[in-house]
Amino acid sequence: MIGRPVDRVDGRIKVTGAAPYAADTKIPGVTCGYLVTSTIGRGRLTGMDTAAALASPGVLAVYTPFNPLKLFAYVQEQNDERFPPLQDTEIRFFGQAIGFVVAETWEQARDAAGLVTATYDQQPPVTEFPGRTLQAFEEVEEVVGTQTVGDITFTASYTTPFQHHCAMEPHATVATWNGDHLTVYTVSQGALLVQRRLSETLGVDAAKIHVLSPHVGGGFGGKWGNWAQVPLACAASRALGRPVKAVLTREQVFAMAGHRPRTKQTLAMTCTEDGKLTSIVNDGVTSRGLGGNWSESVANWTLTTYASPNLRVTKTVVPLNLGAATVMRAPGEANGSFALESAMDELAAQLGVDPVELRLRNYATLVPNTGKPWSGKHLDECYRLGAEEFGWSKRPKQVRATADGDWLVGTGMATATYGASRGQASIKVRLHPDGTASVSGTAADLGTGQYTVFAILAADELGIPVTRVRPDLGDSTSPAAANAGGSNSTCTNGPAVQVAAKAVQTELITLATTNPRSPFYGKEVSYRDGSVSSGGLTMSFGTLLTTCDVGGVEAVGTSPRLVDPEHGFRSFGAHFCEVRVHRLTGEPRVTRWLSVCDAGTIVNAKAARSQIQGAVVMGIGQALLEATEVDVSARFTNANLASYLVPVHADIPRIDVRFLDHSDPVISGLGAKGIGELGIVGVAGAIANAVHHATGVRVRDLPITLDKLL
Amino acid sequence: MHAFDYAAASTVRGALDLAGPGSAFLAGGTTLVDLMKLDVLTPDRVIDVNALPLKGIRLHDGALRIGALERMSDVAAHPVVRSVHPVISKALLLSASGQVRNMASIGGNLMQRTRCDYFRDVTSACNKRRPGSGCPALTGVNRNHAVLGTSDSCVATHASDVAVAFVALDAQVVLRSKDGDRVAPLEEFYRLPGSTPDRENVLGPGELIAEVVVPVLPWARHSTYLKIRDRQSYEFALTSVAAAVDVKRGVVQDVRLAAGGVAAKPWRLRAVEEALKGGVAIERTFAEAAESAVDGARPLAHNAFKTALLKRTIVRALLDAAGAR
Repeated sequence: MIGRPVDRVDGRIKVTGAAPYAADTKIPGVTCGYLVTSTIGRGRLTGMDTAAALASPGVLAVYTPFNPLKLFAYVQEQNDERFPPLQDTEIRFFGQAIGFVVAETWEQARDAAGLVTATYDQQPPVTEFPGRTLQAFEEVEEVVGTQTVGDITFTASYTTPFQHHCAMEPHATVATWNGDHLTVYTVSQGALLVQRRLSETLGVDAAKIHVLSPHVGGGFGGKWGNWAQVPLACAASRALGRPVKAVLTREQVFAMAGHRPRTKQTLAMTCTEDGKLTSIVNDGVTSRGLGGNWSESVANWTLTTYASPNLRVTKTVVPLNLGAATVMRAPGEANGSFALESAMDELAAQLGVDPVELRLRNYATLVPNTGKPWSGKHLDECYRLGAEEFGWSKRPKQVRATADGDWLVGTGMATATYGASRGQASIKVRLHPDGTASVSGTAADLGTGQYTVFAILAADELGIPVTRVRPDLGDSTSPAAANAGGSNSTCTNGPAVQVAAKAVQTELITLATTNPRSPFYGKEVSYRDGSVSSGGLTMSFGTLLTTCDVGGVEAVGTSPRLVDPEHGFRSFGAHFCEVRVHRLTGEPRVTRWLSVCDAGTIVNAKAARSQIQGAVVMGIGQALLEATEVDVSARFTNANLASYLVPVHADIPRIDVRFLDHSDPVISGLGAKGIGELGIVGVAGAIANAVHHATGVRVRDLPITLDKLL
Repeated sequence: MHAFDYAAASTVRGALDLAGPGSAFLAGGTTLVDLMKLDVLTPDRVIDVNALPLKGIRLHDGALRIGALERMSDVAAHPVVRSVHPVISKALLLSASGQVRNMASIGGNLMQRTRCDYFRDVTSACNKRRPGSGCPALTGVNRNHAVLGTSDSCVATHASDVAVAFVALDAQVVLRSKDGDRVAPLEEFYRLPGSTPDRENVLGPGELIAEVVVPVLPWARHSTYLKIRDRQSYEFALTSVAAAVDVKRGVVQDVRLAAGGVAAKPWRLRAVEEALKGGVAIERTFAEAAESAVDGARPLAHNAFKTALLKRTIVRALLDAAGAR
């Protein structure tokens, strides 16, 4: 069953609207909270007038830094805000939460929020990148070898803009208290991330906080952290004794709920005459929003991609008056790969070597910065299969060599790799008298297909159809499983599902042989394909439980964190694409795509393909469209989905995805590595390389818009 | 969102009677409701005009007449429009999305407001929204802004596609008030921003667009609407050109050209038209003629590329319309 294409088990309820998302939660007596946000980018609040808002119809409370809800300092780093909202008067960014209006209806809360006025002691915000900064610091990340030597030298700088996750579902939280027990329905990439954050900032025992996040309408990293609406809804609900719902507007999501930082990478490479790299230096610069702590280690992708005896990467952080920068699909690596994959293409051109051939000449059979062997790596096969399937050998060596009517045609390729790891996860499997099995863990499905992974693996282990497995995710009372981040879910949770599904068979056998009502009482039995057998008698577990009048048997299985200092773990892939650029008006359009992936065992061929396709779509956006602009006021000026361009169907060609499906036995018995982020890595580089091949123009600053090609 | 009264009218007279200071007419709502949600527009009274008898698409007296309440999708699909003035249909089909086109009316399309992000953000200054408050786009993020017809008060573009096609075709709008009808060329219906960018057109208080009248131009069947944008669909123009050209024996007899995405209003390119007439219909002629398209252009920090892009868009549109390649 593992590896076959399986429809999403949650597909029907999602497309019919039956799946409960956080903002859909209906609780009698629920009130609505609306955030008031700063209209300056840096300074201090000197006062707020809330009288008109308080007098507005339906308003229950207006909280501000001058009348705050008590929230304790954040301790845990969750790649989100440094400070809980409304606890101080410093303005660190434009659109920062400075007030929270709670009213009987959402419209009343919004109207009242519009009546709140604020006065500020204003300072000019810092928005220039790299430019003048409040404080910039450089830290040498890692050095391997000591010399920079070689015959051929190549140097160039590459930049990437601010980007936003743009998940379809905006951030929403509904909180309700029953005595000192809190129940929270919220968007999250991991229910435990919410529980821990709320425990520390509300000062409440985590055991009394029940977090429910069964369905999430896209995360991409933007729902890893807990943004202002989460603690405010909970604290306001506690203060008012009423349930509170808070949903961010799209503009608020842009301003305060995280973004991909701006980056600049300056690459200097040397190589021998036959194209063997002798040194790579990558000086990375990343912005950090002063609303948070997080920044990208953008140059680090250089440490693990190509063999080179000398490697040096640095990281300079530029703090800006913006909301928190945070993780966004393949943080560091989506941007990092754009520079190195472009540079490899440029170096290939300089040497007169085919880009695939140059990558094979510098193939890293060992992890470049540690010298360790890989747990499993078949990237060379990705290159060769991809080149063959794509027809790479027919590619003209010269740039601007192919035209189709008025369209210049070019092809490009790039490497994809993303880190893999296996954390600890616990999963509970319960067998029910109705013949179904439920599988629960705190994991999250952001649209990734994690529900279906649970169903497939449990069904496979239990020997029953997928349709008889009921996965149950996003509930903090379930055993602690992996959060959805770092391409970690399937490689961490998958083995735990297998362990738990095995363990529950032992529990079932114990019941069968020790329950006096069981026809197998005192006998030797075996379990196979959902049934217990002994001699000539076979009985399904549902019938057995019914016969014994037992409501179910369950077991919790734990798969431990993998500690393996001997190996390097990554997923790999290769992208090949064709791009067309109009000779007069310069629009770049992607017209053909092939991705070949080496990501260990594939659990669900259908959802895995969708994951890679989705990541390529997001990468096409990164390459050609997406950029959030900031002006001197420190506002994101295009903070809406009309002005911030994500790809539409018309921008996307057919995306062909192949999986090598070589199991990685070192990472787990299941052999699955991550695929959530792998697919976006290298996409922008492949497109930039194809644009260069089509036009002869090398664009080193994303996005590659037509004005750069005129 | 500002609280408002809602009233529905079933006759033009009834709608005009309901209108007054602080009122707004509601047709498809695809601009008005969006901007009300953003608090950019805060009418006290919204007058639903959807039941008004301002419908119908017909050929009459040498002109194509389109009722102001006809939906964009219906106009685009109408066989008479497609055969007489295909450029109108093309411009509509490259606008917005299918869902928006099903709702939005032709009259409302002509009245749509700019997509300038500063206009749409009430925490920002904007001379169009709050006269005298300033224009942050002049020195701010202005890649999408206008290079023609701008002023020191406003550099916003007009967002409509079909208005560009209409202006190329010398369309007129019938404006109806209690005093009766008056007719204005669409090109003159729109005002340049000057020092009053809040006044975008010549529509008087208590006046409605009743009809769009487009003269029939037999050779304009050889026409195209070319829209250049970063995203291939559901996106406004960086530049666009409506072009109709009459070529006989390889020579341009007559031509109509207007541009969108580059100017404060739909921009007729008369100097380019004049330069083309009598010229050989080849790319070089088109490129030379297009040079004058950007006379008087005032590029900003991020949109200087639009002058080059406009000229190339004109050339490409002419090649398409003339079938010359």
